[in-house]
Amino acid sequence: MAGTLDGKVAVVTGGANGIGRASALRFAVEGASVAVLDLEEAPLQEIAEVIRADGSRVLPIALDLTDRPTVVDAFARIRGELGPVDVLLNNVGQTAREKITEFWRSEPETWDFVVNVSLMTTLMCSRQVVPDMRERKQGKIVSIASESPFAGDANIADYCAAKMGVVGFTRALARELAPFGVNVNAVAPGATNTRGPRRMPDDALARVVAQIPMGQMCEPEDIANAVAFLASDQARFVTGQTLFVNGGRVFH
Amino acid sequence: MPERAPSWEEHVPSGRLTGRRILITGAGSGIGRRTAQVFASEGAALALLDVNPQAVAEAAAEIGAATCPADVSDEAQVAEAVGQAAATLGGIDGVVNAAGITVTGLLGDTDFATWRRAMSINLDGTFLVCRACLPWLRQASAATIVNIASGQALLPGASLSAYAASKGGVLTLTRALAVELAPLIRVNAICPGIVDTPMARGAALAAAPDLSRYALRRMATPLEIAQSLLFLTGRESAFVTGVALAVDGGRTFH
Repeated sequence: MAGTLDGKVAVVTGGANGIGRASALRFAVEGASVAVLDLEEAPLQEIAEVIRADGSRVLPIALDLTDRPTVVDAFARIRGELGPVDVLLNNVGQTAREKITEFWRSEPETWDFVVNVSLMTTLMCSRQVVPDMRERKQGKIVSIASESPFAGDANIADYCAAKMGVVGFTRALARELAPFGVNVNAVAPGATNTRGPRRMPDDALARVVAQIPMGQMCEPEDIANAVAFLASDQARFVTGQTLFVNGGRVFH
Repeated sequence: MPERAPSWEEHVPSGRLTGRRILITGAGSGIGRRTAQVFASEGAALALLDVNPQAVAEAAAEIGAATCPADVSDEAQVAEAVGQAAATLGGIDGVVNAAGITVTGLLGDTDFATWRRAMSINLDGTFLVCRACLPWLRQASAATIVNIASGQALLPGASLSAYAASKGGVLTLTRALAVELAPLIRVNAICPGIVDTPMARGAALAAAPDLSRYALRRMATPLEIAQSLLFLTGRESAFVTGVALAVDGGRTFH
């Protein structure tokens, strides 16, 4: 069966685990060559093996996505080895994790980290691929936002600020790139069955799930499905949008 | 503008609706008719509903679907048509509410009959079809409703108040039903901008569409709307409910 991304080059940031991993696998199934970028070497090599074993082309690159010169080098390498990028998934991002706390207790150094990894990486990686996309008059940029800023979830104000930043960035870049036939969209997941929620205490997790009309957490593959839709030409008239995949917890 | 790819108006099916039994309203023309073609190619069994018996017969003949002509704003006709569709298909797993009309006019020029017409077809019609299908959707697995709202529901322009209000009602009904019917039935809305259909061309006779409001500077093709309806009807959107997906070439930035 023809894939929706046959012959395309796709990049996934934070692609070794969770949503990024499911999306990288899906891109490969749809026929793309996939560059997978992640800090964690072991799971990165594991997913590269899985994609390779399936007969698809994969380029795993271990790096710190907040280190800008390294990011520039990584995208130059992708261009050299796979060709110009057709699809970029800006997935990397995280809350303050063990440092999650009410805002009045939080530290500016923590905000810097959260905003850097959840928002600035999206700008930085997009900046690397946009010149080629403009030149070639084609391309899809999909960024992972979150339902949290729309819900106003407590104790992660820095993360909410960063993810709302992703939404604003998506809209502005969509308008800039529309004349070049490049689509820019975001996906806003709800609580997804990845390491983040699995780290939560059982009662806190149960409270989250109780707020979801669909009655369960999102699976990474649910997000990968939405990403694959937005990365395909079937969504070529969709741009500047934020697609919620959250079981109906928050409406926008 | 980028050059159009050779496959611009083609849909490449991949069996995404195999075994699904789906009712499409407004299937005689425009978005509804194109959606029927795409859904048929994806393996769905279809019942097509439209107020125009001849148009819906033609649409059904193209793809070998069942027909159930009805006026969506007439409670008795909807009940009969939906019953007929369910009997023919052996049940209903999904609904696409594409029946709708556009009315234009500044507030002072909008007579009450015009307002009522927009409300009765766009909003009453969506309510009546959803309610009539409910018993069958409850028996289905992974049931879906997708309503055609409008970008006007998110970001209204001038001279469309009756239409915008009716579509705003459709969007709010969508969200209310998403909460009420979860997790059994998913309910979502598409918010198109201007789409190249007979309805839009009719409205454009009065005033040329202002495409400068759309970042992509063009109308949507009916296929582009149909493919988003396919995403929200198929299993790939299994965790998506209550969304307003704007397929509008960058106007609302929703």
